[in-house]
Amino acid sequence: MDAIYLLQLLLNGLVIGVIYALIAMGLSLIFGLLGIVNFAHGEFYMLGAMLSFFAVTDLHFGYWTTILAVTLVACAVGLLFYHLFLASLRPADFERSILLTLGISMVLQNGGIFLWTVTPRMVPTPWSYTAVTLGDLQLPLLRLFTLGIATAAFLALYVLLSHTLVGKAMRGLSQSRDAAAMVGIDHRRVARLAVIIGIGLSGLAGATLAPVYSVQPTMGAAFVFKAFAIVIIGGLGNIMGAAIAAVMLGVLESLIGGFFPLTLADSAGFIAMILVLLFKPEGLFGRGVRV
Amino acid sequence: MKRLLIAALAACLLATAAAAQPAPIHIGSTLPLTGNLAFFGQHSRWGTELAVAEANAAGGVLGRQIVVDYQDNQCNPAVGVSSVTRMLSDKTEVALLDGVCSSVILAIMPVVQRAGVPLVVANGSATAIADASGAGGNIWTFKVNPSDASLMEALVGWLQQNGKADGIGFLGEDTDYGRAGVQAFEQALGKRGLKLASVDYYQQGTADFTTVLTKVRRADPKSLALYSVGADFQNLIRQYFGMGLTIPLTGRLLTDQIPPEILTSGRLNGGTAVQPYTAEIDLPANHAFVAAFQKMHDAPPNLLSYEAYETTRVLLDAIKRSGTAEPAAIRDALTKTRLQSVLGAEIAFDDHNLAHNNAVIVMIKDGKVQVVGLSKT
Repeated sequence: MDAIYLLQLLLNGLVIGVIYALIAMGLSLIFGLLGIVNFAHGEFYMLGAMLSFFAVTDLHFGYWTTILAVTLVACAVGLLFYHLFLASLRPADFERSILLTLGISMVLQNGGIFLWTVTPRMVPTPWSYTAVTLGDLQLPLLRLFTLGIATAAFLALYVLLSHTLVGKAMRGLSQSRDAAAMVGIDHRRVARLAVIIGIGLSGLAGATLAPVYSVQPTMGAAFVFKAFAIVIIGGLGNIMGAAIAAVMLGVLESLIGGFFPLTLADSAGFIAMILVLLFKPEGLFGRGVRV
Repeated sequence: MKRLLIAALAACLLATAAAAQPAPIHIGSTLPLTGNLAFFGQHSRWGTELAVAEANAAGGVLGRQIVVDYQDNQCNPAVGVSSVTRMLSDKTEVALLDGVCSSVILAIMPVVQRAGVPLVVANGSATAIADASGAGGNIWTFKVNPSDASLMEALVGWLQQNGKADGIGFLGEDTDYGRAGVQAFEQALGKRGLKLASVDYYQQGTADFTTVLTKVRRADPKSLALYSVGADFQNLIRQYFGMGLTIPLTGRLLTDQIPPEILTSGRLNGGTAVQPYTAEIDLPANHAFVAAFQKMHDAPPNLLSYEAYETTRVLLDAIKRSGTAEPAAIRDALTKTRLQSVLGAEIAFDDHNLAHNNAVIVMIKDGKVQVVGLSKT
């Protein structure tokens, strides 16, 4: 076997996995805290990418300024999203939450098509076609940035959940809402923060990936279903589990695609999800907000 | 009381005026208006809108205005069949246009046959559509754009003349469109004792092509034929360029959708493609079409918009010649079509209800797309 080819596939898979993780972590956090499967998550990712396009082309923002600005706007959108739609939901409203977020997803996607049409847009950067070469291995620079940003986002979330009081409150709330209330945790404030962070992460993903992939209103669908599979494989609400499952899936897809028809690689995530649901329904790393 | 009488009189006059207007002619159109190919559906719709606007501005067809009912099929055969069945159940549509996606067209062909309503295909290119149409098959389906088989025959013939037909790798979407592309390539190469060096497919809607491009780099074909459209093509071509690949591109390379910075870099020089259309064709009728399209939609036309424009003209011409706007009469009129194409050729249908318009061979030279020839399909 060609060792360089194998290494290149592993490297590609690692980056693809990290991209999946960036989208899946927010989804997992919102489910872990609120018990809501946010079907509109892909559309928040799309809005982040679309906003990045306008920030770069109309406002002439730089790469890093765009990422920061879009993430902050996404956090604000998360706040609005929570107060307008999620705050009134009770734990028993699971079906209602699915229909609600599905409806929001459709409105956002079709609203995007109405406003911006489906013409694919590209976000130009000075490094759009620059690659880093390590011997015979090659990695586009923007993907390297994505790798760094996603790792930083994961570490920040890890520190927040494991080393801060609010993180402890989040973990407590995910374990038992009643017990958390008994020890004085305001579940609304904690849930609101989780939604702000979750939507902020999808905005960050959109801004980071806008220069990597073409931007258009239906782009969310390409990743969000894989993100769902990842969240289930990693354990619903388990952030660390989602991140590990995402990287595992990225590498697995890359290896399958490298040695077999690529179309088989796309089904790998869903086959893994079915197997997990059959044999380990709580996910590979267990349910609940964990780090 | 007086005011009431005046209002009633005005209402009666308006109603009489409305009744005097002849009823519009309704045409159905099934397109991907959402999903990964929505960009293509949008351009196809724009092409139809231009042809209909021109016809309506000239007084309509048979003295009646044309109204098109656009339905989204998401490039999904099941959704296409459902929407077409719904449209035809109203019995107001006298004919249908397209489907854009070959898979959808193949799925709705039996539906239009049962309903006895003509389907005029503008964009779907699978050879199987024409193979199943006309004599001994579905007499209600007509295909205006060239089939993959005729396009690839034109391309491979040109490549062979220039010593470039050997060692071609193939990368395309895993749909009837991509599969028909492989079949057409293999057929055209087989006639010349050649075959494809490698074949790879990807799922429609794929965003990341690094894995398959790494595989292509390793296979190192002499040239790479692409069968990719929409947002997939945009992602594919950017990642191809970003990964530093220099394998000459061919196939259905969408030269009008290559980002300018990639095209002008010169790295794609030598790429050769076949298309049913490109806006660069230097013919007066094409200049007029491009200007009218740009004015109406504030964007240049692409091959989808051209094909839909030309196809809608063919259908409107047939409705006019039918004299009655009844589906069976329109079908009979379609079989006798003789219409001058924007590309210079005369559009007429063969025994399989397939038209044989000109195809365009384009080449990328010095960072620019150049038309190197028109070839009858």
